[in-house]
Amino acid sequence: MNEYVLKTNDLSKKYKDNLAVSKVNLSIKQGDIYGFIGQNGAGKSTLIRLICGLAKPTNGSVELFGQSSESDLIQARKRIGTIIEGPALYPNMTAAENLEAHRLLKGIPGKDCVEKTLTLVGLQETRKKKAKNFSLGMKQRLGIAIALLGDPEFLILDEPINGLDPMGVVEIRGLLKKLNQEHGITILISSHILSELHLLATHYGIIHNGKLIEQLSLKELNKKCQQYLHIKVNAPNKAAAVIESHLKTKNFEVMPDGAIKLFDFLDAPGEISQTLTSQNLIIEEFMPMGEDLESYFSTRVKGVPHE
Amino acid sequence: MSNLIKSEWFKLTKDQSFRVLTLLLISVAVLFPLLEFDNTDTGLPTVSEYHLNNVLGIHTDIIKLIPSILAGFFITSEYSMGTMKSIVSSGNSRGRIYFAKLSMFSVGAVILSLLLPLFMTGASTVYFGFAGMPDLAFYLQTSGLIALYGAAFASIMAIFATIFSDSGKTIGFLLFMFLLVDWPLQVLAAKVSFLEPIINHSVFRLIYDIVNISQLDGKEVFIMVLIPVITFITSGIIGSYIFHKKEIK
Repeated sequence: MNEYVLKTNDLSKKYKDNLAVSKVNLSIKQGDIYGFIGQNGAGKSTLIRLICGLAKPTNGSVELFGQSSESDLIQARKRIGTIIEGPALYPNMTAAENLEAHRLLKGIPGKDCVEKTLTLVGLQETRKKKAKNFSLGMKQRLGIAIALLGDPEFLILDEPINGLDPMGVVEIRGLLKKLNQEHGITILISSHILSELHLLATHYGIIHNGKLIEQLSLKELNKKCQQYLHIKVNAPNKAAAVIESHLKTKNFEVMPDGAIKLFDFLDAPGEISQTLTSQNLIIEEFMPMGEDLESYFSTRVKGVPHE
Repeated sequence: MSNLIKSEWFKLTKDQSFRVLTLLLISVAVLFPLLEFDNTDTGLPTVSEYHLNNVLGIHTDIIKLIPSILAGFFITSEYSMGTMKSIVSSGNSRGRIYFAKLSMFSVGAVILSLLLPLFMTGASTVYFGFAGMPDLAFYLQTSGLIALYGAAFASIMAIFATIFSDSGKTIGFLLFMFLLVDWPLQVLAAKVSFLEPIINHSVFRLIYDIVNISQLDGKEVFIMVLIPVITFITSGIIGSYIFHKKEIK
């Protein structure tokens, strides 16, 4: 069985002189919730459109469930569910009719799945209401319901929580987590709401100016975003030894510039400063620091040159 | 392929423009013959005369214009609503998607094209009496050709409905094109000699011969049947090629 649900190899897409996607090597393992982060125009939607077969790459290739030839990719796409740049709905059809049209399209036998999916996304009460009369949040739910038809193994969701009210966001997050944990569905999700992505994703990809500048796991991200005490002293090596021997912790890092990142004792800064000064160390900088996903993202994309 | 056809048929039956156009044409077909009762000078026509002069007299416009509206809503709106994205990413080849769409659009266009011959003739029979009915063979021949030419024109419309991504543009362009296309074709046939036989044997010209079907010989009838079939296949291949190359936005 292929470990990777999706891999892209040097995937590029050029529109006239604009390189929308540049040599992207993305990999998503089975069971991941992959958060796709990027500014407007960074290339997120173009990349998703290349994966879904809506656009053809200028260079490189897409590998879906281990398949990369054009005919195999078409077959592999039967195993995915998508929301691309908003939910794709027929406004004059009811919620149930929208699902029925997609059920027929995907060749799913039996009409039971329509009711089952409407119930799953909480739209069973409004099944006879036309999609054009839905709120944006309800449209998003219906879009997710359509993507879920046929029990896909891989969900590609481009901005699925746009327009949802806070309760809707919580419900959709819960639903996606449930689908991932209980049904083992792999999810690629792009969103501008980074705080929300941080609560959901297990892996992250940061795209900027068409380039995938970083891929990291939640563990790695948490480590990078972790709150810590930034300490700069006149003798970093001595300080490290003092912290280890006197404070009995190894949960710190000495950075190349000599600064120390201490991940413990965040609530007892006085104890640390007292310990360091008692050992004749001169404290030059001492402050609590740390990032959330938003600030980490802006730090990462800052300074990446435009092509 | 069958799942695509089923899905397209489902969408056609739910398509509001198709429903409105169908109701409109049936209303016109049922109500229009009543105008003959105001024509007191010449008296009521026979059903045969009414079929020949009124039903077949306007069928060319019905075939060319009414399905143009359906093309905008049934095909192009899939791009503007974004639903084409989920169709293309559903794991079906673009060729199959295009031919399923074309098939069901053609069925819709044929249904719309046949509403007047069916309902107008039926209504005129009720209003004017059963005496002087049109010859059954002639009625079936003309209705069959109307269906065939309806499908041929639908395949041409589908090409433009695939090129545009806005329903309004598709409808406007198709109406404009089909209203005016006869004149430039006529000029072209007169000016460029090698194009004359091609233009004269195109669906754009042959459609006017449907009404004369009983006067044509076997070879001419064969051409009348063959050309729309070739047009449908050729336009289908061209449209499928365009769709294959089209970037879905």
